[in-house]
Amino acid sequence: MIENIDAARLQMAFTLIFHIVFACIGMVMPFFMVVSHYKWLKTREQVYLTLTKSWQKGVAIFFVTGAVSGTALSFELGLLWPEFMKHAGPIIGMPFSLEGAAFFVEAVALGFYLYGWNKLPEKFHWFTGVIIGISGVMSGILVVAANGWMNAPSGFDYINGEFLNVDPVQAMLNPAWFTQALHMTLAAFTATGFAVAGIHAYQVYRKRKIELHTKAFKIAITFGAIAAILQPISGDLSAKDIAKRQPVKLAAMEAHYDTEKGAPLFIGGIVNNETKEVKYKIEFPGMLSFLAFSDFDAEVKGLNDFPEDEQPNVPMVHYAFQTMVGIGTLLLAVGVLYFISLKRKRWLSNNKFWLLFVLMAPLGFIALEAGWIVTEVGRQPWIIHKIMRTKDAVTPMPGIVFSFYTYIAVYTVLSIAVTWLMLRQIKVLNQSNI
Amino acid sequence: MLYVVLFFLIFSLYLYVVLGGADYGAGIVELFSSEENQKITKKTVYRVMGPVWEANHIWIIILIVILWIAFPVYYNIMVVHLHIPITIVLLGVTLRGVAFVFRHYDAVIDNTQKLYDSMFKISSLITPIFLGIVFGGLISGKIHITEDISTLSFYEAFILPWFNTFSIMVGLFFAALCAFLSSVLLIGESKEGKKNIYVRKAAIATIVVFVIGLITFSYGYLSGIVFVKDFLKSPYAMICVAVSALLLLPLWKKITQGDIIWSRFFAGLQVFLILLAALVSHFPDVIITQEGSISLVENIAPESVINVLGISLIIGGTVILPGLFHLLKSFKMIKILEQNNNPLI
Repeated sequence: MIENIDAARLQMAFTLIFHIVFACIGMVMPFFMVVSHYKWLKTREQVYLTLTKSWQKGVAIFFVTGAVSGTALSFELGLLWPEFMKHAGPIIGMPFSLEGAAFFVEAVALGFYLYGWNKLPEKFHWFTGVIIGISGVMSGILVVAANGWMNAPSGFDYINGEFLNVDPVQAMLNPAWFTQALHMTLAAFTATGFAVAGIHAYQVYRKRKIELHTKAFKIAITFGAIAAILQPISGDLSAKDIAKRQPVKLAAMEAHYDTEKGAPLFIGGIVNNETKEVKYKIEFPGMLSFLAFSDFDAEVKGLNDFPEDEQPNVPMVHYAFQTMVGIGTLLLAVGVLYFISLKRKRWLSNNKFWLLFVLMAPLGFIALEAGWIVTEVGRQPWIIHKIMRTKDAVTPMPGIVFSFYTYIAVYTVLSIAVTWLMLRQIKVLNQSNI
Repeated sequence: MLYVVLFFLIFSLYLYVVLGGADYGAGIVELFSSEENQKITKKTVYRVMGPVWEANHIWIIILIVILWIAFPVYYNIMVVHLHIPITIVLLGVTLRGVAFVFRHYDAVIDNTQKLYDSMFKISSLITPIFLGIVFGGLISGKIHITEDISTLSFYEAFILPWFNTFSIMVGLFFAALCAFLSSVLLIGESKEGKKNIYVRKAAIATIVVFVIGLITFSYGYLSGIVFVKDFLKSPYAMICVAVSALLLLPLWKKITQGDIIWSRFFAGLQVFLILLAALVSHFPDVIITQEGSISLVENIAPESVINVLGISLIIGGTVILPGLFHLLKSFKMIKILEQNNNPLI
């Protein structure tokens, strides 16, 4: 039997992994939609109208799936972690209440957009689409700010187990909010850009509606590629921030056991947490010190200097981190290739070019999920860094494992259903006249 | 600022009950309709709810966020002891939301529509029942509050608080109320010649609400439910209920006259009075446990939190409410001009 705490963590992880995909697509796709819509208004080429309408159905389906799974999450925070919410709820309430407001604006704007065709003035109608996108991104940033507080708790004094002198504004603007929000927003654009581009690339690869799908591909990949190219800057800011605030997380990301000056950066490798060794790795001397502290000789604290019971699951965090960085680098390279292809038009008639982007389609989301594993598993055993342990926050109700199985069943069916619906959309799109 | 927060709490609760309630009710009305009427209802529901249903359901998020920020103790008791019915509500909300969207946005119309339809209808009935059960659970007086919850059996701590006759009756009452609201709403939205379907439904729903209400109260009174006894003793609550019952007369008059706006207004007012009666009879002790009542206003978050929340709510309210109002208004006006225009084709 799975322990209650493990079941609760698995359920939370599972619902978050699910929600993030839908939330990101619901947040980024409106931008693709309004670009295509803009081009329709500008050029009056029918193909852009068809594309806009087909993307808007995608936006509607993903928005709703994201919204209902988000509603579930807002309850799950309390259902699974009542002790956490009892104390943290009031402190991090501000980003959540603003997020509620942003989400509301988004829902209202979506109502206008979806039902406003031929009814609202054209430019206003288009603008409601822009509002969907902006409020979606705002929502994302605010929720990430709340998560940032768990990594960098601030805005209160913790005295004798009590949270006193609460300042909700300072809690929202905690030291981690900016780096995390920037990293996540870029990640959302990268992941969704490459995923949507990949789907349309596949249609071109199979020689279906080449004009339409090429146009769709270009819009999506432009967002994805630019975000992928900017991401390393944000990653660097995040790494320096974590080195300062959560050195144990950084050490786990790098599977760095011994404290040393001029610490090397490991790439790859198999972690053995018993013997505290990493085998078969590639080392870059001094690089970790440089990346974390901008100094090749700086001292980086190793895991051995932290108490056992304050360390996360090292192999999991390390592998997840490697996956994220590896994919991020690959997507950056492919993003650059896309911009080169703008100068070398003949690439577009080469099927291998399209196949490359088809293969990239799922990678952005894999990297994004891996990144969240780094953040969340890397914070363990704390639910609030250095303040409250996850095991002290869990619900007293036994048998969470059954709730976990129920969620798995429902969400699996939902994922299959949404995928199947999207395939039907694409099929109908390919049968249309334009 | 506490009063601002309380205002928004009750405001969003009321709007969720009315708007979300009418939304759930639409599924219930569809469930209890003949096959031919189901098709008509499905189309009407889509026309009416389509642009606004997402907004309808955000009220519960606002509600829950206000609860956890400003009233953490209240929220804590709810999520610990009523874990199971809340989880069922969540699954219901999820399945219902996706079924609603799937059945209108699926690019291909075929037999899977039947699956979406039954998913939508069944979850439309189950979700409000369990929402009512959650509310019933909070006032049923069956929750045990102890320092150490492990001294209670699983049944005492996590099942009994909601799985009792009174809570279940409240659940059924709420579902009936949803059906009532929705029928009144749909009367105004249906095309000529189809109105009678919903007039009939509204009449049936009114009777069901009345009968279930009566049984709930008689049962509560006879088995000594504290909430019911206090309710009957409170003059304000009784006045609210009496006025709400009397409003049935003008409501029916307006319905038969075909006055859409006033009939909706009266139905909304009735529900408001019922809600007010439930709140006023025990306010501010909104949780009743075996050990006594727990006050909402005495167990609040620190003042700084309440202040910031109040300001956020005022700002949020001034941004969102006009937009929402405009959304409701513009589609209402447009709808009269272009009845059958499906925007997605």
